[in-house]
Amino acid sequence: MDKNFQEEQSKEMIKFTPPLSKQRYQFIKDLVEKYRPKKVADLGCADCKLLWMLKFCSCIEVLVGLDISASVMKEKMHILSPLPVDYLEPTERSLTVTLYHGSVAHKDPCMIGFDLVTCIELIEHLEESELKKFPEVVFGFMAPSIVVISTPNVEFNTLLPGVTLFRHPDHKFEWNRAQFQSWALETARRYDYSVEFTGVGHSPRGMENIGFCTQIGVFVRKYPQTGGFAVSEKSRETVYKTVFKAVYPSLKDDKYLQNTLVGEVIFTAQIIKQSLLNHLMSECEECNNSTTERKVQLQPCFSKYMRRLAVEKSMESFVKGNVVYIPLKTVFSFPKVNQLCGTFEKFCKLIAGKVTLSSDGYALMLNTEHEDE
Amino acid sequence: MTGRARARARGRPPALGTALPAVGAATAQETVPSQLPGHQQPQKGRTPPPVAEEPASRGRQRQTQNVLQGQKERKPEGLQISAGFQELSLVDRGGRRRDFHDLGVNTRQTIEHVQESKTGTSGSVIKLVANYFRVMSRPQWALYQYHVDYNPEMEARRLRSALLFQHEKLIGKTHAFDGSILFLPRKLENKVTEVFSKTRNGENVKITITLTNELPPSSPTCLQFYNIIFRRILKMLNLQQIGRNYYNPKDPITIPNHRLIVWPGFASSILQYEENIMLCVDISYKVLRSETVLDFMYSLYYQVEEQRFRDACVKELIGLIVLTKYNNKTYRIDDIDWDGNPQRTFRKADGSEISFVDYYKRQYNQEITDLNQPVLVSQPKRRATGLQGPVILIPELCFLTGLTEKMRNDFNMMKDLSVHTRLPPEQRQREIGRLRDYIQNDENVQKELQDWGLNFDSNLLSFPGRVVQGEKIFQSGNVFDYNPQFADWSKETRGAPLICPKALDNWLLMYTRRNYDVANTLVQNLFKVTPSMGIKMRKATMIEVDDRTEAYLRALQQSITPDTNIVVCVLSSSRKDKYDAIKKYLCTDCPIPSQCVLARTLSKPQTAMAVATKIALQMNCKMGGELWTVEIPLKQVMIVGIDCYHDTLAGKQSIAGFVASMNQTMTRWFSRCAVQTRGQELVDGLKACLQTALREWFKWNKCLPSRVIVYRDGVGDGQLSTLVSYEVPQFLDCLKSVGKDYNPRLTVIVVKKRLNTRFFARYGEALKNPPPGTVVDVEVTRPEWYDFFIVSQAVRNGCVSPTHYNVIYDTSKLKPDHIQRLTYKLCHMYYNWPGVIRVPAPCQYAHKLAFLIGQSIHKEPNLLLSDRLYYL
Repeated sequence: MDKNFQEEQSKEMIKFTPPLSKQRYQFIKDLVEKYRPKKVADLGCADCKLLWMLKFCSCIEVLVGLDISASVMKEKMHILSPLPVDYLEPTERSLTVTLYHGSVAHKDPCMIGFDLVTCIELIEHLEESELKKFPEVVFGFMAPSIVVISTPNVEFNTLLPGVTLFRHPDHKFEWNRAQFQSWALETARRYDYSVEFTGVGHSPRGMENIGFCTQIGVFVRKYPQTGGFAVSEKSRETVYKTVFKAVYPSLKDDKYLQNTLVGEVIFTAQIIKQSLLNHLMSECEECNNSTTERKVQLQPCFSKYMRRLAVEKSMESFVKGNVVYIPLKTVFSFPKVNQLCGTFEKFCKLIAGKVTLSSDGYALMLNTEHEDE
Repeated sequence: MTGRARARARGRPPALGTALPAVGAATAQETVPSQLPGHQQPQKGRTPPPVAEEPASRGRQRQTQNVLQGQKERKPEGLQISAGFQELSLVDRGGRRRDFHDLGVNTRQTIEHVQESKTGTSGSVIKLVANYFRVMSRPQWALYQYHVDYNPEMEARRLRSALLFQHEKLIGKTHAFDGSILFLPRKLENKVTEVFSKTRNGENVKITITLTNELPPSSPTCLQFYNIIFRRILKMLNLQQIGRNYYNPKDPITIPNHRLIVWPGFASSILQYEENIMLCVDISYKVLRSETVLDFMYSLYYQVEEQRFRDACVKELIGLIVLTKYNNKTYRIDDIDWDGNPQRTFRKADGSEISFVDYYKRQYNQEITDLNQPVLVSQPKRRATGLQGPVILIPELCFLTGLTEKMRNDFNMMKDLSVHTRLPPEQRQREIGRLRDYIQNDENVQKELQDWGLNFDSNLLSFPGRVVQGEKIFQSGNVFDYNPQFADWSKETRGAPLICPKALDNWLLMYTRRNYDVANTLVQNLFKVTPSMGIKMRKATMIEVDDRTEAYLRALQQSITPDTNIVVCVLSSSRKDKYDAIKKYLCTDCPIPSQCVLARTLSKPQTAMAVATKIALQMNCKMGGELWTVEIPLKQVMIVGIDCYHDTLAGKQSIAGFVASMNQTMTRWFSRCAVQTRGQELVDGLKACLQTALREWFKWNKCLPSRVIVYRDGVGDGQLSTLVSYEVPQFLDCLKSVGKDYNPRLTVIVVKKRLNTRFFARYGEALKNPPPGTVVDVEVTRPEWYDFFIVSQAVRNGCVSPTHYNVIYDTSKLKPDHIQRLTYKLCHMYYNWPGVIRVPAPCQYAHKLAFLIGQSIHKEPNLLLSDRLYYL
């Protein structure tokens, strides 16, 4: 949680714009944009800032955070809750965000099958025993398609004012590039990954040989996902404790789909009804040839739409007595409605019981009684 | 009358058991969108009221705070730190600085005769249940407050907490820390504890943790603390915070006809009440719209002419609260910048420039499609947020919340809405109980509560209340009883002569050609209904005008003579500009009472007589007539009512309506208003109002009142201390300035309608609305105040809202019982409604006056009208 302010502290001499922590997160975000993973886990997620940034990435459907400190996660975890907009305008994508309390030295089946696992400034906080288990847990057990590991480059410390030993008191070690790379290459070799090195936080001009302030290894799994392996592992008992879970509303959930669809249908039908009534009224006002005051508003787009629809007689809406009849086919032909449910059958199934239909189930019925107007 | 008045009126149930339909009853209302008192309005979905300007010092005035009752022996603890505590990191949303509950304003201690008891005695006992849960803490519970020092001094708050929590073993998992003040649920072993932490530079820092306070459960700091913890809990329950309340987005009520989505939720607060610390929970509904500001602008564009588009946008949008797509913050639209667009750049915190389009795309993956849309401007209310200047918002990324004026005018919509939001008592109680169930069934919440040693009672608070006797209605020698259950006497008094009828000798009736018939019918009907009231009436001067504002004005200029009693205008539409122009002319340039009525209201044969009756009564009041009275035993008392209207559109000026009774029977009222301009305090104007009212009283009574009782409405949450320390002294000053020997007794009562408090009457197993006249002055009142609740009105749908009365200054020596009875009596005296209303009549009159001035006239009306109820 403190990795951000420690950077801020050092900005008197070396100033990174944007701040280094942000650059690290942006690096991950760019990576996500490039590979478009569906399932992403952040190990050592701390204050959930990276997860928060990632939840806006439209490709991600499962987002998981893991940290050894539940209280640090809890402090800010609510930034991961769905926003009002997620309820107001549910999207096609489903998204589940879960936070687990646990250690990267332990295996839990909930971490299997990920596309991307990030370990931002994590490994240097691990005790020796934990660090030993780490490759087996992450690369051997979780075995995601991509792993990103970032850690301080100790060679850069000479440029950071006041840093005598490590950048943070909780750091158990800080590696130079050679140390990190040899560890990474060995890990990659053992678990059949390829690895590329990069970093964020450029060294000042003339000191390029020092390397990045933060060194990053991007590991890509060389073998395709093996299903059998994962299944056998799934039987393992869970060791992580769920701290937080948010299931975002999605149109994949029939409840939200139905709500959104019915809302759209009724709203669309209201507009058809209104323009139909306005049309009738303007006709009748014309013959009465009275009033300059009432201005009839035919929604331009809809009137055009209706004219086209009128060509197909069976789809024409009409008024009978106090009721406006709007054929379901007409409603279904509206782009938004159409898009929501795809097939006419599904459309009929979803709106059943939610709107009033004519006895033959052919048309939507709306009452024209409009008090007082 | 406008749609709003109609909507309100129609939304109200018909007058039960009478032939007079609700339509009729309300149709004679003025064209002013009027707020019908006495009946619950569908206000659940409303956005919070705009807050008036206040002196900057207000927030700090808690220094004057006193220890709560019942803990007088204890030291006044925790006061010095309260400011620091407000900065506490766990205050969500950067911390609301406002003290919405007016904590620490101790007014009761200054009122001598209620030191012992502030309770009334009269009436019959009734079993009540209120929407409060007791907060239970462990015996001997206390909150331990520590001061944390760093040596060498550490600046960054995050660093400070990181260093401190390296010692979590010592401190424990349950804590609250704001960088210098630490709260713990348990006591550390030593009073002063020294520990050492290491910074990343390997620097050793000495941290000294010193116990500064042991806070008892009822200390103000503790209460703030409870509220913070409780908000944490609401968040843990996955409720969404919008404004001050928390909502459950999982099971929304959708009203697709109007693109509305209603979230049920809770309004809650924990406070020290008379005997206990309690959690007050009420059901709140948030109206959201699945429509962005841009959608709204588009649809508006189709509805109005091009050149009126911008004005229309301003009119419809300014003042609305929007919710952004990318976070869950709400903003008030203060302005629209038509020259701005999303391609404009702004400077980020790190100094780099970025366009809105790029920013929202990059940060939140939000696509802005319309690059030519204007931008919205929101002025942050709090200066302390560190944000400089206004907030710029993109219409496409903002959802509308709440209802617009236009939607409130839509009767059908309000009906659809009220079906869902008006819960009858038992259902409301069930919904409130849900929050308790959520809390009890959530493991994490239970753990959090246990860690702090807190819990909530599982039952709602029950206690006895009193129902005071109903009043007798006196009308010109007749005495009427009304059915207390309905609190309405329209049926009983129909056809009875008025106390003081005013003759219609010389009056104008203006109408357009199309409305000739309805105007004529109105006259016929008035001829039928006025004789029994005792009103003498001659034929009106009928004037036909074109349906243009100028035509009306020209006709008025030409036809009004010094003898004209009143002008009646039949309007063909609820166009506000015409109404405003007529009212403005007749209230300022040419002071004549006027009555506007919509042709449509008159056109229904089945309600025509009822409408005519209502219009006749209203016209009579406007000309200075009197309808009925109740028995007022107090002599030589001047009752004053004050309410405010905050104009959010034009220059944000506030208007205070001021009315004062002129006679013993409370049937005549003098009125003035104070228009507050920028940089001027409203109270200066009120002082002038009070001075003229006293002069006027002297003219009427040949003496000065020996008592002045002020009912002050329109006081926002958190403004009480301003009132106590500024407004009351000004009133006293004003009274003193009248004369050396003049020393009247002053009582100032703050009236509050917007409450979360609800009462249910228990009849066996059933819960019902308490009957009108229910008085509560125990349990849910505040120990530091001389306050009480009255349920004065009756409602037919949903739950009745009590009104809260807080006597903040009182030298009257009147017993609490008398003040309560007088207040209830005054709720009978509002002439626009033949029944008991929610607030004392002077408050409602003041409200009507302020509303008329604020909406239509925008300046002080002619004083020649001041002795009449022309603003009804």
